[in-house]
Amino acid sequence: MSRNDNQERRGRPPEPVSVEVLAPGHTFATVTDKISSIVLTRRTPLYWLVGLGFALLLVMVLLTAITYLMGMGVGIYGVKIPVGWGFDIVNFVWWIGIGHAGTLISAILLLLRQQWRTSINRFAEAMTLFAVACAGMFPLLHMGRPWLFYWLLPYPNSMQVWPQFRSPLVWDVFAVSTYGTVSLIFWYVGLMPDVATLRDKAQSKTAKVIYGIMALGWRGSSRHWHRYETAYLLLAGLATPLVVSVHTVVSFDFTIGLPAGWHTTIFPPYFVAGAIYSGFAMVLTLAIPIRAFYGLEDFITHKHLENSAKILLATGLIVTYGYAMEAFMAWYSGDKFEWYMTSWRATGGYRLQYWLLILCNVVSVQFLWFKRLRRNVPFLFVISFIINLGMWMERYVIVVTSLSRDFVPSAWRPYSATIWDYATLIGTIGFFFVCFFLFLRLLPMIAIFEMRELVAKAEGGKR
Amino acid sequence: MEKDPLLYGVLAEFDGEHELLEAGRRAYQHGYRHMDAYSPMPIQGMSAVIGFPKTRLPLVVLIGGLAGCFGGFLMQYWISVIDYPLNIGGRPLNSWPAFIPVTFEMTILCAALAAALGMLALNGLPRPHHPLFNAPSFAGVTRNKFFLCIEATDPKFERDQVRRFLLSLNPREVTDVEQ
Amino acid sequence: MNDETQVIPVDLDRLQSRALLVGIAGLAACAIAAVSNHQQFLRSYLAGFLFWLAIAVGCLALLMLYHLVGGSWGFVIQRILEAGSRTLPLLALLLVPILFGLRVLYIWARPEDVAANTILQHKNIYLNIPFFLARMVLYFGLWVALAMLYNRWSRQHDGSGDGSWIDRAERLAAPGLIIYAVTISFAAVDLIMSLEPVWFSTAFGLMVICGQGVATFSFVIIMLSLASGRKPLAGFVTEQHFHDLGNLLLAFVMLWTYIAFAQFLIIWAGNLPDEISWYVTRLSGGWRIWALALLIFHFVVPFFLLLMRDIKKKAPRIVGVAGLLLVAHWAEMVWLVEPSFPPDRFHIHWMDVAAPIGIGGIWISLFVSQLKKRALLPLRHPKLAGVWEPAEET
Repeated sequence: MSRNDNQERRGRPPEPVSVEVLAPGHTFATVTDKISSIVLTRRTPLYWLVGLGFALLLVMVLLTAITYLMGMGVGIYGVKIPVGWGFDIVNFVWWIGIGHAGTLISAILLLLRQQWRTSINRFAEAMTLFAVACAGMFPLLHMGRPWLFYWLLPYPNSMQVWPQFRSPLVWDVFAVSTYGTVSLIFWYVGLMPDVATLRDKAQSKTAKVIYGIMALGWRGSSRHWHRYETAYLLLAGLATPLVVSVHTVVSFDFTIGLPAGWHTTIFPPYFVAGAIYSGFAMVLTLAIPIRAFYGLEDFITHKHLENSAKILLATGLIVTYGYAMEAFMAWYSGDKFEWYMTSWRATGGYRLQYWLLILCNVVSVQFLWFKRLRRNVPFLFVISFIINLGMWMERYVIVVTSLSRDFVPSAWRPYSATIWDYATLIGTIGFFFVCFFLFLRLLPMIAIFEMRELVAKAEGGKR
Repeated sequence: MEKDPLLYGVLAEFDGEHELLEAGRRAYQHGYRHMDAYSPMPIQGMSAVIGFPKTRLPLVVLIGGLAGCFGGFLMQYWISVIDYPLNIGGRPLNSWPAFIPVTFEMTILCAALAAALGMLALNGLPRPHHPLFNAPSFAGVTRNKFFLCIEATDPKFERDQVRRFLLSLNPREVTDVEQ
Repeated sequence: MNDETQVIPVDLDRLQSRALLVGIAGLAACAIAAVSNHQQFLRSYLAGFLFWLAIAVGCLALLMLYHLVGGSWGFVIQRILEAGSRTLPLLALLLVPILFGLRVLYIWARPEDVAANTILQHKNIYLNIPFFLARMVLYFGLWVALAMLYNRWSRQHDGSGDGSWIDRAERLAAPGLIIYAVTISFAAVDLIMSLEPVWFSTAFGLMVICGQGVATFSFVIIMLSLASGRKPLAGFVTEQHFHDLGNLLLAFVMLWTYIAFAQFLIIWAGNLPDEISWYVTRLSGGWRIWALALLIFHFVVPFFLLLMRDIKKKAPRIVGVAGLLLVAHWAEMVWLVEPSFPPDRFHIHWMDVAAPIGIGGIWISLFVSQLKKRALLPLRHPKLAGVWEPAEET
């Protein structure tokens, strides 16, 4: 039955959109079966095993690096005064920025009633969670004694000291831990009905029990749905300002201090835009291979990729605005340190990294003005990779240049990372992918019940 | 009228969300109150039709948020001004601008916890087992099936009448659900 | 209109003529006072000018935003936005008194002060009268050009119903918004920030943009409610439209607060003389209370009111919130401009009120006359069919 017949039968007017975000011909049963089969019935694909194995190898690297760190202390890293923040902070900011797109997709697009969010929100949220986990490792490892991390929290203690609430680093503790917690809650609340689906469809007893416990007894009651939708909407409304605040607080780590190139008021909005920028790049980096490997082109359509590309373009332009405004004000302020830092970034010892970041973040994204390129999947994959690299470079340039050229020229020292810095970064990438591969295998990567809602809207719900 | 203590209610399966909405509306008009509809996805207006138009959850979240907001600020105030006053770069002890970020985070954290836990608590979850799971076809509710259950606790409940009423709504099937 | 109580009857013709009278009276009073107190006149006039500029340029920006992202919120206000953008030539004209008073208003325009200050000498390449005038010509030229293009395409579409005119409008929207963001940021530096040329803040342009969003959405909500009794808007505008506009207003209120607070916190924590001095004047004496009032009426009160669905959906209520925000936006403009001038303590002049009313009277009169020129909805728009759908009202 064609879609029009169906709508006529239902006596309802044709709904807008939908067509482009879900391929036609799907029913409640087919979306449920297709998505849940990845977890429940399909054989574990070989490339999954290979991918997981490779990611696990990288985790070995991470474990080695951490073990060595525990034995030797933070001296194994490249950080030396005056550059007390090196890879650890660069990687921290990079990872947490990547997480932000997940929250943006699931919360802000929900509030804006954008249907195209539906098939990518689940794995984007998972991406957020794992990225925050990776991000959280770095400040802890950078402390040198990660087992004392709880000193950061305000609790009555025998030393009779409290955290210093005028410090942005303490704000960071609150921001990142709140972000991690709320992302987890949001993700889990979204998962509940789908885990119930897995519980009801699972064949093996073990799977039934485990998914049964995780589903918390969900049974699709209309009263439950009512409260559930209210809660989900409220969580989205809370997560939206939260995601803005988190990268704002991250930017405060820099702006509250005084080094030239750090202390500038545009950092909060432009860090947020940059975070969304790199996050959407990561979404594309992940979504493009996943939809190809798992045959999910019906659910993650060209529309999703193109819209993500548009957001990349928009946030890329905001970031460009930030660079430009920063440079202009560095001159306009008449502050010689600010102006020196701006010109030194472009011409000094880190000019290679600087121009690479401009090339990746400012120049490359301009290709996305063209619709043909926005619809070209391999091109999008390449450009998303370039932007990931560019945003990492941006944080590197911000952190390292400002510190290595402080106000006292006699203290100027260059920074270079050691092998352990690289090992830790690569290791967290492995950790991220291990989590991600496990997620793909064990939980529905697309929100099934939301797809059913799309089906109901698009097809009038034939079964 | 004798009630079967082993009976939870009578369950009817319907074709789709529109049929379920209509059935719920008719059952409510017929005077049944203790009932619920079950569906694979939320249906707009379903809960209102069976007499549950509004939830208190927003109030719970508001209270959670306010508690986090005031609690967060007072915690910082008490620590920085009263219990552990330190001069940090000549800034006032009550450095309220610097306390805003943590206050904000605490607001969001408490409100989000209130939203999630409040939703679960009001829904009576977690509850891993429920009488409805005894109905063999009920597992389909998380895939593509739509149910209406009139519960035995309803004052008007009388098994045969309820069965007859549900059958009149043109269901796919009607079954009894044991406790 | 779904609900009869939403209709606020208003006679647009009477509004037009009354506004003109009020405007002429207000400006005449200010002009007389200007003879004896030239500097005060220019200060008050600048704040009033910035207030109405925000709305006029804001209309252009929202028009482009609507063409970029679409949505029924923009469809019902498209004609209001177009009429607002057509007032930009008037604002270019109203800029003239400021241009003649540059030496009175701006310290960088006075050679004797520049000679005594090395920072001003450094900035002289940028902050000098010829370049300032050239930039103003550029900004207004670009804005008027964009406004003319959009209005011409819209008129041609009304005439022919040819969808290619809409395509053009949509294609120009993204570049147009970039032009808007860049020009308004630099205009904010030129007109406001350079009043105290030592001070600088990279986020200032964004703060001004967000403030313009607040002012424009407030203005549009009020106008939509006033015009909603007229055909073809009557019977077409629903609660949902006000709800959507209310949500967008809320978003901009939050964004403005976010940028304004982040800027303050960073400068407060840094406590560097060049930066903090701007806030020291603005947060001492009576200005402190003024700033507190800004916090309460530009954020706290409207924020909580706009969270409530019942307020956003009922036209008279949301119009009240929008009116409050317009007053708060005026207060912000005064707070940005006035403390830049001696005496350092709190000072407010009757012209601070009279000048915006005077400019506003003339501006509103022109706005209403422009609004009446065309149908209140683009009736040939293909989206009209889509918007009529009850499906979008969910």
